[in-house]
Amino acid sequence: MIVAEQKPFEEIRRMIAPYGRVLILGCGTCMTVCDAGGEREVLFVHNALRLAQAKSGDGTHTFSEYTLKRQCDPEFLDLLVDEIADVDVILSLGCGIGVQAIAEQFPELPVLPGVNTSFMGMTKESGVWDERCAACGDCRLEETAGICPITRCTKGILNGPCAGTKNGKCEANKDMDCAWVLIYKRLERLGQLEKIRRYYPPRNFRAIPRPKRIISKAGFDEGGGDG
Amino acid sequence: MYSPVTDSTQNYQANRAGKYLDHSLLPPCQAACPLHMNIREYVDLVAQGRIMEALQVIRSGNPFPSICAYVCTHPCEDACQRCQVDKPIAIRALKRFALEFGGDRMIQAEAETRYQDKVAIVGSGPAGMACAYYLRKLGYPATIFEAHSELGGMLRVGIPQYRLPREVLDIEIQRLTQMEVEIRTNTRVVSLDLLFDLGYKAIFVTIGAHQSLRMGIEGEESPGVIDGATFLREVNLGINPSLGRRIAVIGGGNVAIDAARTAARLGAKKVNILYRRSQVEMPADPGEVEQALEEGVEILFLVAPTRIKRENGRLSVTCIRMELGEPDASGRRQPVPIKDSEFNEEFDTLIAAIGQAPQTPSDFGIRVGRGSTIQVDPVTLTTNRTGVFAGGDAVTGPATVTEALAAGRLAASRIDDYLKHRYPLASKEERESLKGDLLPETVEMIRKIGRVEPPILPPQARSKDFEPVELGYDWEDAINEARRCLRCGMGAEILFQDKCATCLTCLRVCPYHVPYLDTSGTIQIPANQCQACGICVVECPAKAIVLRKPHDLRHITEELNHILKSAAESKSKPLIVGFCCQYGLFGTGTLASLWRGAKVGVWIVPVLCVAKVEADHLLRAFELGAEGVFIAACGEQCARENTASWVRQRVEKVRKILAQIGLEPERLQVFVSGTTSEDPTKELDKFVEQIGGLYLASVVMQEVKS
Repeated sequence: MIVAEQKPFEEIRRMIAPYGRVLILGCGTCMTVCDAGGEREVLFVHNALRLAQAKSGDGTHTFSEYTLKRQCDPEFLDLLVDEIADVDVILSLGCGIGVQAIAEQFPELPVLPGVNTSFMGMTKESGVWDERCAACGDCRLEETAGICPITRCTKGILNGPCAGTKNGKCEANKDMDCAWVLIYKRLERLGQLEKIRRYYPPRNFRAIPRPKRIISKAGFDEGGGDG
Repeated sequence: MYSPVTDSTQNYQANRAGKYLDHSLLPPCQAACPLHMNIREYVDLVAQGRIMEALQVIRSGNPFPSICAYVCTHPCEDACQRCQVDKPIAIRALKRFALEFGGDRMIQAEAETRYQDKVAIVGSGPAGMACAYYLRKLGYPATIFEAHSELGGMLRVGIPQYRLPREVLDIEIQRLTQMEVEIRTNTRVVSLDLLFDLGYKAIFVTIGAHQSLRMGIEGEESPGVIDGATFLREVNLGINPSLGRRIAVIGGGNVAIDAARTAARLGAKKVNILYRRSQVEMPADPGEVEQALEEGVEILFLVAPTRIKRENGRLSVTCIRMELGEPDASGRRQPVPIKDSEFNEEFDTLIAAIGQAPQTPSDFGIRVGRGSTIQVDPVTLTTNRTGVFAGGDAVTGPATVTEALAAGRLAASRIDDYLKHRYPLASKEERESLKGDLLPETVEMIRKIGRVEPPILPPQARSKDFEPVELGYDWEDAINEARRCLRCGMGAEILFQDKCATCLTCLRVCPYHVPYLDTSGTIQIPANQCQACGICVVECPAKAIVLRKPHDLRHITEELNHILKSAAESKSKPLIVGFCCQYGLFGTGTLASLWRGAKVGVWIVPVLCVAKVEADHLLRAFELGAEGVFIAACGEQCARENTASWVRQRVEKVRKILAQIGLEPERLQVFVSGTTSEDPTKELDKFVEQIGGLYLASVVMQEVKS
């Protein structure tokens, strides 16, 4: 799941300052799950913005709300036609993908990001999320016992641990486990320690064409994922 | 597919869900009540201190609630879900409290005659009275015929006064008079044809079951042997039979217990109940049995009389000991005599209370069946004679007052159908009832709160006269008892499955571990487990969950809007809004001083648990002009654990926003009753002072700016 956090409220206010009619747009999938931009947060941001406006005395904005199931599909965005008929800007509480999808769909309408899209990760407990995947496109988890060194090692090294590991913790953050120690322990438990004795050559950082595109159907032209 | 949210989500939700959405399930108490009284509702109103409203709910579901408040066998309490946690809610005692504190005596009954078709009611017991009551409500002229000198049937001649004070009965009968029911006492109906000749269009036969069953043993006709129903009738009508010193009562039902306790009150030195089975099989109410034992009544179990002989002015009763054999048709173990275990006991009087049956005059021409009960169609209550309906003990055999009231109510509506020449209207579609027991993990998390028993007279005080044994609750006890209600069937449901992102928040925040992920990966919130705390409703990031009866949450928004409107009119500054626990404000009263002592400018929104106050309510209060906002929780006496921690989380979230807007976070405070040594009023006073200061400062700042 994509994890994000709401932007500082002051930043949101700064962004919307030039616009009059603001549609606050929530996303019913990842942003709902990570508490950043579901319907509840849309209502909260809406109420907070109205309060800020009431207290600052500048009655320049009007707000409306809407929450889509997903912002990253054009068919869902089609449902916005009536909602955007008379708004000046969309404040999207979707992730960066949602914001861009809106920008592509509605070329005339400015769109603002209401959240900072942070990582792909999982829930640790209610209200706490941890990063787990860097979407590198070259998954090595088979060799590292299901623990990703690229995401979970601060240095992202493939032949670890580095010399900075101490008592199983990372030198960059003493509260954080060293990913390579975790990998070692798990390989040991799985009886696959030979995997850590191998040497992994440096990753091929030759220019990976971005944006990437994945095609799962026949007859679609290869090309960049640039729309 | 998608979930639009309009400008005002609250309104939107209400519209989408229907303003009066009520998906609540029938709670076990209501399902068990023969009258289907809305018990959950009135118990909660009592807990909130809204006694008059509780009384209204009670009166709307019961024609003679004060009678039930004394003598109902409360099947609701036996069905109460709280039995699985500790002890059931004392529903009957709470009803009595609501009637007494709500001023039920003062309520006048009214009825208007809309039809000309007269209805005769033969018998004035609870079924007859209820039928008359509802017939008058429907607009029919009704006449009650009663063979005795006063109305009430078994309520008058069967139930002893210490269980049902006669003034209570008289007040209810008074209502029938107010409703212009024609009452003919000392009138025994011998022929139904005559009633039809007199112009009655329909007849309701409710003659009760007054005929005692015979024991069928030698010497039963001896002087000194009396049957239970006759004995109670004589005592209740003021004829005090001379009993002697030693009394035996035969039987194990409520009539036997009533007879024994009545005999004790009439001065008998020693009262023995002889019962042929053991205590477990006794059909009498266990509470009544216990009170009888306290009053000195002795019960000889597994003993039955076989022969009675009158010698020298006393009764020599030969008894035999029994043992329990195989279960019989009633499911109870059959008593079997033990050979050669006979013994003799001497008594002055023997009261046989082994059961009663109706005695329908054969001239009525209506068909009777097993146990001399009148045969009726259970749906329409019609007998074999056109226009003749029957109900109550005469149909069921000896049963409870509440069942008789229910039969009377049903008869009234069936007679209405009959007189309007229409098929019986199907009874109102019932809501789905709550099924299944609480799971152990739910039970574990429910706060255990002991049942507050209503006070009763000490045994030595009560065996002297016929004063009522059970006394009423005082305010505090009643509120504490009512707060124990689990509010079954009102819990959360995922109303908007399309919105649910299956984020598992509900599963994680539920204090009672109720929501679970089913094998298909869908979140389920089982209605029979949910405790309706509302925490998941507020925390759900998709706003997909509602309470089955969303009144509690809607109420906060409505009250807030209302007071903000009123406050705007009053123009007093600075405005402070407080969200206070309704139970603490008006129920237990620990927060009552906030209300009573509130300073000018402090406006209070009563909420049905502070855990239901959303961050948005707080923001809205500020937006609409509040200079300060506080939440006052009832604290330790709360029926739930740790509600205040949820409040604090939301308050923190709002404070962050306040700080970024340039408002002091101190403008938002939480008071939890009992957590600080300070009285909530003093805390509030300080807060008001502080807000006053902040307000003054902001006014000055504005003037400086301009």
